[in-house]
Amino acid sequence: MDALATVAFYLGVIAYSAASTLFFLDLARQTAPGPRSTWGPRVLAAGAVLHAVHVVVASLLLNRCPVESLHFGLSFSALVAVAAFLLLRRHANLDPMGVLVAPIALTFLVGAQFVGVDLPSEALISRPLLVLHVTANVLGLGIFLVAGAAGSLYLWQERRLRDKRAGGMASRLPSLDALDRATHRLLLIGFPLLTFGVVTGAIFSRELSTFAGAALARTLFGFATWFLLAGVLVLRRLAGVRGRRAAYGTVAGVLCVLIVLVIYVVRPGGPGT
Amino acid sequence: MITVVGLSHKSAPIEVRERFALPADRVPELLRGVVDRPAVGEALLVSTCNRVELVAAPRAGASLEAVASASREALSALAPNAPETALYALTGGAAVRHLFGVAASLDSLVLGEPQILGQVKEAYEVARKTGTVGSVLHRTLARAIRAAKRVRSGTSIGAGQVSVPSVAVDFARRIFGDLRGRTVLLVGSGEMAETVARSLLSSGSRLLVVGRTPEKVRALAESFGGEPCAWAELALALERADVVITSTSAPGFVIEPGHVASARKKRRGQSQFFIDLAVPRDVNPEIESLDGIFLYNVDDLSRIVSESLLTRGREAVQAYSIIDDEARSFDRWADAEQATPLIVALRERIRGALKFELERSLRGRLRHLGAPEREALDTMLDAAVNRVLHEPTTRLRQAASIGELDTLPFPELSAALGHAFALDSTRAPGEPARSERAENGSQPSVPRSSAGDLDAASSDPHAAELDATLELEPSDDAPAGIGSSR
Repeated sequence: MDALATVAFYLGVIAYSAASTLFFLDLARQTAPGPRSTWGPRVLAAGAVLHAVHVVVASLLLNRCPVESLHFGLSFSALVAVAAFLLLRRHANLDPMGVLVAPIALTFLVGAQFVGVDLPSEALISRPLLVLHVTANVLGLGIFLVAGAAGSLYLWQERRLRDKRAGGMASRLPSLDALDRATHRLLLIGFPLLTFGVVTGAIFSRELSTFAGAALARTLFGFATWFLLAGVLVLRRLAGVRGRRAAYGTVAGVLCVLIVLVIYVVRPGGPGT
Repeated sequence: MITVVGLSHKSAPIEVRERFALPADRVPELLRGVVDRPAVGEALLVSTCNRVELVAAPRAGASLEAVASASREALSALAPNAPETALYALTGGAAVRHLFGVAASLDSLVLGEPQILGQVKEAYEVARKTGTVGSVLHRTLARAIRAAKRVRSGTSIGAGQVSVPSVAVDFARRIFGDLRGRTVLLVGSGEMAETVARSLLSSGSRLLVVGRTPEKVRALAESFGGEPCAWAELALALERADVVITSTSAPGFVIEPGHVASARKKRRGQSQFFIDLAVPRDVNPEIESLDGIFLYNVDDLSRIVSESLLTRGREAVQAYSIIDDEARSFDRWADAEQATPLIVALRERIRGALKFELERSLRGRLRHLGAPEREALDTMLDAAVNRVLHEPTTRLRQAASIGELDTLPFPELSAALGHAFALDSTRAPGEPARSERAENGSQPSVPRSSAGDLDAASSDPHAAELDATLELEPSDDAPAGIGSSR
């Protein structure tokens, strides 16, 4: 079993690396635009399967549910991101987004290895609620990572269009409309999860009376994320704000999510220290 | 080898080219007429709006000059009063390089345009169906198409857009993706604006036409199948439009930031793409500061076209080196193919002699053998002939392609072998030798398809790959040649 988890991990790393390279090469090739290679998504999907095998087998070995540990949670988020991307690309021509999604998955899969396995057990808080909190955060993180990728590519494509530049990588990127729609859909799916995560996180902080230092920063950034992304969704609904400003809002929101994550990982006594 | 006789946009103006234009349904008739001529073994016609070229290969023993002359006569018959100088004729390596360049779009009016490759493939297909393509043109076209694909994938010859309408459509796609169901608003009229609108409409967009002259607007809308709108409805039309093309003769701006901001609000922030083709400009450039609004004027579009053309020009240098490489490879194959008639004749002679002896034995001492044993003996003879002739075949091909083998040049080697075995190596593969016809009419000759094609395949290790390149049947089913000498 141990060997299987290790082999799946290394093969997953290889598959994600290969997928990253394939997506990049497809985007960077200087020849006339033609049919896109389907190898990138295929290799990425293979990487996701191996990744899933690694997570399942490793968590079985440690007798841990993946959402009970930040180690597995981070890894699982990347898996969610890959799955979200693979599902999304079926409905729109979003393959070039793989150039960001594949490296993100690789980073999280490898990065999770440097994060401790154990989640500090908090006797004072409700265990089922904690599991739901982590699950919502893991799923939300995965979805927001893809939304952030779509938002970033939107800004890049928009910049190229404003510069009035033909050719180059941007000519192979998805259209602005497709990126905008993808970002919006992902935010709609991820926002309820974020809301649940922020609310339960605030409850835990209150119960544990840890409104200080890292916990305070985490809570503040959590709320900042919530307000930013809520703002993006509400302004789009009420005032038709979309495009560049929505993309900036999304990218900023996703950066806040990542800051919360970093604060959690590197906090004193946290799994990354 | 081959000849190419014809005319193109480089050699003749359109008034001359159009006289050579041949309706598609008359091409087979022309090709059949060409291969009926004594010198021509194979022929195909590449006919586009920029060129009419007859590609031909000689019959056994005929010279390339004779083929070129026959091709010239056939084409001249299409336009009897056309000047003699209108047609160029290329033979041998020059013809091969030209054909490869044509397929790779290096000889096109718009360098790197992708249609020509499909047109070359179609020309081959028409000739194949007509039955005027043999092994030489089959192999040549397959190599030409492979060269073209190498050029397309290995260079940026096809990168970028090289006309204002195609640039406009490309940028519209980068903003909206699929253009089906999008609304294009044409404000004013003008040749360029109408061409751009037509390009967008061909992608599935709807059209609104706004202008100051109602009759003109109606006529224009009707011609495009669009919807006419009065000038006063411009603001409403702006709200509906995803792409706005302006080309009025107004002295000042027709569309101001206020109009666009108001339309944008109604459109709930959806992107809009403005293409201002008017001089003086119709759209105030300040609208570009609005989120989701993209404005390109005629200078922007022209600059992008020039950049693309410049890039393609630079890439052509690399493309020509690929063509040279492919042509050299083809030359080596063609040189090696000189040995084919001799090899086929040698193989048939040895196989025929062995078969004759075997049949005599089967009628005599071996008559007790059953069908399976007889079949096994036959197979064994084939294997033995292959084994015996393997080395001589390889060396003959080397001699033909390298030009010499040790100290004996190929022509001498060929003559010596032909003399020693009394071979007639000028006949086409599969055609019975004179001596066989005269002396041993009852002897079965080796079927051409097995001998000739076996040799062809063995001389070209890329045969299967080339057939796939041409998206054709495997080479064993490839046209057998109509008396080609290779």
